[in-house]
Amino acid sequence: MFETFISYLNQDATIQAMVDIGSMALFFIGLFGLLTHRHILRIFISVSIMEFAIFLFFIGNTFDKTFTAPILGDGHVAFVAMNDPIPHALVLTAIVIGMAVFALGVSFAIEYYKLTGRTDINDMNEMSES
Amino acid sequence: MSSIYFVALPLLFGFATPLLGKLGKNGIAYVSTLMQVALFILALSLLLSTSWSVEVISIAPPLGISFVLNKASLFFVTLFTFMMMLFSFYYLDLRKSDPYAHEGKFFILLNMLLASSIGLVLSSDIFNIYVFFEIAGLSAYILSAYKKTPKALEAGLKYLVTGMMASVFLLLAITFIYIHLGSLNLAVLSESFNTLPYNIKVLISVFLLIGFGFKVEIFPLNFWVTDVYEGSSSPVNALFSSIVVKAYLFVFFHILYLFMPDSEFGTFLIYLGALSMLVAEIVALKQTNLKRVFAYSSLGQVGFIFAVMASENPSAVTAAFFIILAHSVAKMMIFLSITSIEREHQSVEIETLKELNSPFIKVMMILAMLSLLGIPLFAGFIGKFLALKDFAVNSAYVVVVVIVIASLIESIYYFKIAGNLFYKGEKSKGEKSKGKKREKLTLTLMQKAVFTVLALVLLLVGIAPWLFSGFISEASQVMLDSTTYATTLMGGLK
Repeated sequence: MFETFISYLNQDATIQAMVDIGSMALFFIGLFGLLTHRHILRIFISVSIMEFAIFLFFIGNTFDKTFTAPILGDGHVAFVAMNDPIPHALVLTAIVIGMAVFALGVSFAIEYYKLTGRTDINDMNEMSES
Repeated sequence: MSSIYFVALPLLFGFATPLLGKLGKNGIAYVSTLMQVALFILALSLLLSTSWSVEVISIAPPLGISFVLNKASLFFVTLFTFMMMLFSFYYLDLRKSDPYAHEGKFFILLNMLLASSIGLVLSSDIFNIYVFFEIAGLSAYILSAYKKTPKALEAGLKYLVTGMMASVFLLLAITFIYIHLGSLNLAVLSESFNTLPYNIKVLISVFLLIGFGFKVEIFPLNFWVTDVYEGSSSPVNALFSSIVVKAYLFVFFHILYLFMPDSEFGTFLIYLGALSMLVAEIVALKQTNLKRVFAYSSLGQVGFIFAVMASENPSAVTAAFFIILAHSVAKMMIFLSITSIEREHQSVEIETLKELNSPFIKVMMILAMLSLLGIPLFAGFIGKFLALKDFAVNSAYVVVVVIVIASLIESIYYFKIAGNLFYKGEKSKGEKSKGKKREKLTLTLMQKAVFTVLALVLLLVGIAPWLFSGFISEASQVMLDSTTYATTLMGGLK
């Protein structure tokens, strides 16, 4: 019983489905957080969760667990049966950019809090629609 | 190799600014302006040379990171460098009276904004576009929050949150493109995109539209724009309206022309643009704050450009390029005028214009508004006329009607502003206005020169459009010709 369950989990299709459903679930958790929370830092965190769901989806869909890292050496002499390095490079770049934007946003939020004492986005109405 | 300078020089200068501290604040400002003049001269010389046609620079072929400088992107590069150069000249004198933006930091942001806008236009790789999209976004967020007042920070936060949403959807589109096509190069994508199943194509198109929709300020996704314009300082608004939005518009339609020949999607975008224009102009009527009024006017004009570009035929794209040129110049004039008015009166309400005592600025604002309205003999007329003619030829009469109604509404609030500009003071309050003598707003010689150059461009395009129609029609044909683009790009990669 337990062995069959483990072998079922190890099937490629199961792993693929888990990655797809899991990352989409994470994306919608982020979207839900974005729509329901009013605290500015929680909004940043929600958007970050959405971003990370996309990273997971991207890597999960371009990664093959039977392939090795794209590095020559340890007996590997040609670029065969190796994972595509481009998605990893892209995701690393995107993580760095996302973190920079997140940090900038938090620093704006802190400055704003120091000046006005507000963190709720519903109270951010310095500019009134006339 | 000239195309690399347009991105590398401003970036290099931006990051070298802290090292140039010994030059002092004035030194940094002058070197930055000098570099922008050099870039403009380089772009203009390429634009005017008859033998030059296209240039491809590739870095490391397997990665396929490459820049393509053709006539279409060169038109935008020339426009951006021209606008940034004039802005810097204006800023040289403004800076001295500016309490918050006299530091070297400001020039890092200006040059990063220039480099990333040009990079967006030149990139031929969709991930490179994402990186420049984010750099342009980051420098724009910091520029809009630069004053560090509650209003400015709030504008920065709103801009940043919407920018994050935009980048999430763009990244999602990139993910789907890479998973299904295994490449991010625009040349490869333009050939293989139509082999995708219909559902995936729709999904990618929708994600791209949402991602870029935030940035090109199209109707349902432009709720943040006016708050950002009101909160950030007026000179920065001039840059947002005349450089940043134009760069995003170019990239969006560049990608669209390359791999979405679905005419139904194009029709949908035309109606979306027209609706965006109508809604923006109607809401603009109620506004009393000058910055908000012109932010809504910007939204309206961008919607108009969006609708015209989505028509996807050479005469429409020529018209769109004329509107882009006219709108950039006019909005630069308007927002620089508002900068001087705000500095003098500490207020940007429309009522403030009654107290304005500067015939020069009044004339400049009137000229810019006449051009935005599309009065003959001004630059705005050519683009609007060509665009309406093109819609009429293609029997899209609904769009023509919507645009004409939107223009009529636009004229109402421009006349309201003009009425305040020419306000002489009520006679019953004559004594009161005598007692409180209005101060005269003075501009330095450099600032007057910048306004004069901008006004001359407006008049020159309006009176002698044939001087510009040569390279603009050539640029529009190059922009629509995706097969030549793909072959030159692939040729550059091998």
